Amino acid sequence: MRTYRYLVIGGGIAGTTAAESIRQADPDGSIAIVSEEPHRLYSRVMLSKPGFFLGQIPFERIWLRKEAWYAEKKIDFIGGRTAVRLDPKEDKVLLDDGSTLGFEKLLVATGTCARKWGVPGAQKSGVHYLRTLDDVKGVMQAVKSAKHAVVIGGGFISFEMCEMFRLAGLDVTVILREKYFWEPLLDEESGRIVEKAFEAHSVKVVRSAEVAEVLGDKDVAGVLLKDGSQIPCDIILAGIGIFCASDWVQQGGVEISRGVLANEFLETNRPGIWAAGDAAEYFDIILGERTMTATWLNAQMQGKVAGLNMAGKKQPFRLVSAMSAQAFGIDVSFVGDAMPRPGRGTVLRGEPEKGSHARLVLKEEGIVGAVLVNRGSEAGAVAKVIEKNVDVSARLAELADSGFDLTSLLKP
Amino acid sequence: MSEGEKKIKKISVDRNLCISAGPCVFAADSVFVLDAERKAVLKQKGGKADSGPVEKEALEDSAVSDDVLIAAAQSCPVRAILLYDEDGAQINA
Ligand SMILES: Cc1cc2nc3c(=O)[nH]c(=O)nc-3n(C[C@H](O)[C@H](O)[C@H](O)COP(=O)(O)OP(=O)(O)OC[C@H]3O[C@@H](n4cnc5c(N)ncnc54)[C@H](O)[C@@H]3O)c2cc1C
Ligand code: SF4
Repeated sequence: MRTYRYLVIGGGIAGTTAAESIRQADPDGSIAIVSEEPHRLYSRVMLSKPGFFLGQIPFERIWLRKEAWYAEKKIDFIGGRTAVRLDPKEDKVLLDDGSTLGFEKLLVATGTCARKWGVPGAQKSGVHYLRTLDDVKGVMQAVKSAKHAVVIGGGFISFEMCEMFRLAGLDVTVILREKYFWEPLLDEESGRIVEKAFEAHSVKVVRSAEVAEVLGDKDVAGVLLKDGSQIPCDIILAGIGIFCASDWVQQGGVEISRGVLANEFLETNRPGIWAAGDAAEYFDIILGERTMTATWLNAQMQGKVAGLNMAGKKQPFRLVSAMSAQAFGIDVSFVGDAMPRPGRGTVLRGEPEKGSHARLVLKEEGIVGAVLVNRGSEAGAVAKVIEKNVDVSARLAELADSGFDLTSLLKP
Repeated sequence: MSEGEKKIKKISVDRNLCISAGPCVFAADSVFVLDAERKAVLKQKGGKADSGPVEKEALEDSAVSDDVLIAAAQSCPVRAILLYDEDGAQINA
């Protein structure tokens, strides 16, 4: 059995950045990355962007490291292998090919998986997900001959992919279980702005609906809704959310909730084991509670901090994460933790008739997150207000005034 | 790093590619800042900031090391940061 000083499970941006920062801090310690996907680090975010999806930029732009990079950094890349068992007592991991790797320090950077769609017929050919490079290759191939797309779910992947399908010349119907697009992460007013832009670009939006069955023999021919109506289609994209497949970690004695639980140093309850990226449910010191964040920047910065801590530093993770997505001329920016959970307050601001709206999410006296629709220019100010934990409790009326300059909250 | 052999002469940001993810600002905040549209721009002498191309000499922080610029370019998930050497060849192609 080979034993590594540092063993990283997951070769995405979190795992790769961790290995890189370990190498900077420890020039000699042995490092391996085990990754279910056979590919070296690539840009997951690019998969659903027009440049790549529509083939406007060379395919090679997807790679974020050269093949030789791993050897240069003395990092063993074990691609196409999945970790299936973490020994509850000894520091070793079993892989799907039956081999075992020992470790002194372990990082779980396994990201998330696309949630599998459970309706009858979902295994038919023509039903796609979008998480990995291989997934998107399948979708890119399919759109060459497909004409009618059905997109299931109103979230990030649907938001971007409805536009990709339209740009690729398909007609598109999006089916929402919810009352409006992107509920509950967006407020209703904001969701309606998104829907209006969709409809202006000939995307049909079907609300409060559920698919009863996928129609067709071997290949997808349409969907049957629970109200009895049918929508013919030859491709389906199921964008129904993500989940964290960490049973194997849990069985090794690591505490799991929605994700792999970690403290502010990204270390789990089991000494010597860390978690980073989409898979981590970490203690956010700005928010004062545990949370999960699924953005590129967060995964990259967590990889860095976890790597340094594995190499012996003790640095807390501290970041107000932000990301934005564009489709059909609408910009949706997310800052911090924008989910309106029980016990949190919200303030709406904006001018919906002009197509701009925002919801600020408050916890106690401070802002903890925001979703900004066509108000992305306020994202920087909101991030600073969150980071500095500015007391806004006496200023709610100002926050609700769309003309109020949020940067003035930063002035003493 | 093999990319570090040639000296960086010029830098630009491809605005169409930039998705405002922000890692470049973390990697080199003396050089990159997000503008009002949340696209990365280059901070230049005299307070100007745009997507370039800009000579490294004209950057506000013209003393920034090539390694830091390469790290920033490498941190960008859509590879929107383009670095050029003295001969005008792209270093991080
Ligand atoms: C289509 C798409 C578009 C996106 N666009 C944006 C965007 O515009 N902006 C933004 O900020 N974020 C975006 N994101 C989110 C962003 O890509 C993620 O937050 C980020 O990639 C997470 O990185 P990670 O390293 O934590 O996990 P991942 O990138 O998911 O990597 C984890 C890796 O671990 C592997 N793995 C899992 N389990 C095992 C196991 N047991 N053994 C071995 N290997 C395993 C997986 O196969 C995977 O390769 C997008 C995501 C997708 C899918
Ligand atoms: S890292 Fe790239 S995408 Fe992100 S802001 Fe900088 S240039 Fe834009």
